[in-house]
Amino acid sequence: MSTIHKGLTVTVTLHEDKLTDVNGQLFQFRNELKTNREQFEKALPGTFFISWLTLPPQVYEEQEQLPARIILMTSYVGDKNQHIEELVAFLEPKLKQVFGESDEFPITYSGKSEMIAFLHDKSVPNTFYSGFKFISTADVEREKDLKAAVWEYAQQMNTDLEASQLPPSKIKQKIEYYIANNPKLSWAVAGIPYAQKNKIQMLLPLVIFGLVMACSIVCILLSFFVDALFVKVMAWVFPLFLLFMGGMLVLLRQNEKKPHIPGKELSDEEVRKIVALETNPVINEMTVIAPLKKGWIRRAFLSVSLKLVGLLAYFTYIPTVHTARWLQLDKGKRLVFIANFDNLSEAYAHDFVDSERRTKNMAVIFSHAFGFPATRWLIHKQYNHRSEYMKGVRAHQKITQFWYSRNQYESVENLKRNRAFREGLFKEMDEEAIKKWLLTI
Amino acid sequence: MTLEKKDIQGLMVRGHGNLKSARFLLYTCSDPTSSCDFLKEIVPLITNAEEKPEKEAIHIAFTYEGLSFLQLPAPLLNSFCREFKEGMTAEQRRAVLGDIGDNDPDNWDWGQDSIHFLLMVYAKDQEQLDKSMLRIKEQTDRCGIELIHTLPTGLLQHQKEHFGFRDDISRPVIRELLKETPPENLFTFPAGEFIMGYKNLYDEYAPAPYVPFELDTTGLLPVHPDYPERKDLGKNGSYLVFRQMHQNVHSFWKYMKEQTGEKGEAIKLASKMVGRWPDGSPLARCPMAPDPALSESNDFGYWDDDQAGLKCPLGAHIRRSNPRDHLVTETSKKDSSEMAAKHQLLRKGRPYGPPVTPELDPQNIMDSTEDEQERGLHFICMVTDIRRQFEFVQNNWVSFHKFGGLENDADPIIGNHYDTGQYKTNEFSVPHYPIRKKYSNLPNFTLIKGGAYFFFPGIKALQYIANHE
Repeated sequence: MSTIHKGLTVTVTLHEDKLTDVNGQLFQFRNELKTNREQFEKALPGTFFISWLTLPPQVYEEQEQLPARIILMTSYVGDKNQHIEELVAFLEPKLKQVFGESDEFPITYSGKSEMIAFLHDKSVPNTFYSGFKFISTADVEREKDLKAAVWEYAQQMNTDLEASQLPPSKIKQKIEYYIANNPKLSWAVAGIPYAQKNKIQMLLPLVIFGLVMACSIVCILLSFFVDALFVKVMAWVFPLFLLFMGGMLVLLRQNEKKPHIPGKELSDEEVRKIVALETNPVINEMTVIAPLKKGWIRRAFLSVSLKLVGLLAYFTYIPTVHTARWLQLDKGKRLVFIANFDNLSEAYAHDFVDSERRTKNMAVIFSHAFGFPATRWLIHKQYNHRSEYMKGVRAHQKITQFWYSRNQYESVENLKRNRAFREGLFKEMDEEAIKKWLLTI
Repeated sequence: MTLEKKDIQGLMVRGHGNLKSARFLLYTCSDPTSSCDFLKEIVPLITNAEEKPEKEAIHIAFTYEGLSFLQLPAPLLNSFCREFKEGMTAEQRRAVLGDIGDNDPDNWDWGQDSIHFLLMVYAKDQEQLDKSMLRIKEQTDRCGIELIHTLPTGLLQHQKEHFGFRDDISRPVIRELLKETPPENLFTFPAGEFIMGYKNLYDEYAPAPYVPFELDTTGLLPVHPDYPERKDLGKNGSYLVFRQMHQNVHSFWKYMKEQTGEKGEAIKLASKMVGRWPDGSPLARCPMAPDPALSESNDFGYWDDDQAGLKCPLGAHIRRSNPRDHLVTETSKKDSSEMAAKHQLLRKGRPYGPPVTPELDPQNIMDSTEDEQERGLHFICMVTDIRRQFEFVQNNWVSFHKFGGLENDADPIIGNHYDTGQYKTNEFSVPHYPIRKKYSNLPNFTLIKGGAYFFFPGIKALQYIANHE
């Protein structure tokens, strides 16, 4: 069992003249969600988010027309097969209705098993980030309720002079006793399942990568003393990797020297249409899809960057973001970015530009997309960096016709704090650490 | 870059504290041509930043509706930012600002009506103010301009606001205005954060309204530094955000007393909500009791020794409206400071209405009898980017009930407090040992009574507006 938060992306091409119909269908699903949200929550127990939208044709390198597409992006905890089965079991008629508009959909569609195969077949890899780790959909509610119940129980200690004089460890013991003896909360005694296993699973690719590189460095040294084929081969891996990355960077720099073509600003009317859909009081969604700048090196560099970002996913931190994902479509010519974040996009977009460090991180990915700022050596900004970023994000932001978020009212900081409280339960801590832990309640 | 002070309206650089009497006048025009005639008359009387007026100061600012009414060229009108064009009461702006429920513009005294421009008249005393008002009335009447709202002001003792707290202590310092090199620990802001036509914190010229080169036939306006084909109408101007905020003083202190039972504790709770003691001393530096020596203290942060908010709660008003060096969502002091700096406002407001007690001592305010007097604050700030500065602060820090990992807490002082059944914004959390204290069902201590976005032009831009063809 895994509680790693992952992203599924399914995409097919669509005839441009069918865009209006499909948009209408997706908007209709959005309206239906207002009245049947409970059914979604019941039938999709492992699903956190669903964004389902159409993408109009876009122009790459000023001449190539990239096709219109339907994109379904979900996030879930657990197994991918199980997630797809869950989606199909509940959404099959809708999936058939929408994907059926694409020429890529099977002509002789035979039912749910074929839909499962279709979703597998049309799913594409993505680089996925989750702002909260190893928290299942069920955990969101029950950890919130657990903390609320404990606060209710414990707040009397503020007024009880004797209790408020107790050392932190005694307070913690009282709380733990209360939880252990409350049938509705005693589930929390068991600790967090799979946490260690999932951490290892998430870190494994990075550990392997690191080991290969470390092994290569050792082999470089050994190659002076040992004449073995394995050592000789391994000794080349690290230098080749460095050479490859260095070469890519030099080629990218050549590309950066080409005159920057600024993108067009989105009209006020279009912006209004987008922000009008941001009606949730806590979490909202943003999808940005842009063709890349001219040159194969952009596609290649972005692809390598996304792989490396994926390796570092465990350590990545993007404030206020529940989930984010990046992927390339149409042979790498399009960048897709989607984020589910706290509050409104008008505020969230500032996370891209307000800190120098973050702007550099963002440049590694976004500077390859058309309409985003020109850079030097990838991360060094040029004049108008900030305004070009803000313009780029808005200019390529798409209307997400259907959006579902299982959790509607807990911010990512709330989720993390609730988890921090649960993690501390029944755990050995010194008095100072307990004091800090008590602040999570 | 030297500031062109002669071209900047004086309010940008001084608050006219020596001119104790002031009135803010909201007008609507009836005829574009005669309105421009009025502007031609008034422009020479506008106080610039070079002057240090002893008797009278006059400033002017326009709504988008006003500029449209004056029939300025379409490309110029289009070049203003979306927020300004939409206006503060547009649906999207209401959502961003949290102006719903009690604060819905439908309940405001002004802001929904056709306001074209704002005149801000400051005078050394009431007599001078009356004289100035008479003169202006004669001019506006002659030009068919109707005064639709008069907003009186009244400075309170000891720089206090009506709840009894010292106000207006934390002000951003504009680098270009300093005569000497500032001390190392003083964070200064480039003029472009508040005055258009200068570089801002991103080392860029803030977006500003412009005129296509060929439409500036008089050659009054400077060339835009980024676009040679444009004339910079924004140069030496700013956006002026105006919100009339009614303060419910008795409800405020009644709530504090009800929650705590006695006056001293009520003042402590109110101070936790504000983030400063009534004398102005910050809780971050003196959490247990006020320290008069720190009543103007502005040199403090939260990152080093108050990240948890045990001294100054995370949800306290001054911590939300300016988180300084600590944002819960950031991982370093540097990032927090950089983020916070990008969202600063240059405040220029004034209180209005009579104080509950002359000294505004909370002990006495709590003893006073409830009255029906209208009192509050004319919140005014200058920014070059309405969305990044004013709206971001109002939306992301003041209104968002999840700010800093909080759960149901809008700003306790100026936030809009409500409970929809599905979510609520009417709590205030105080980190405390052994367990966080939570205050519930906060009423709205402030209510918005009116507001609008204005363009506060430089003098040359004013001349252009008055004389355009």
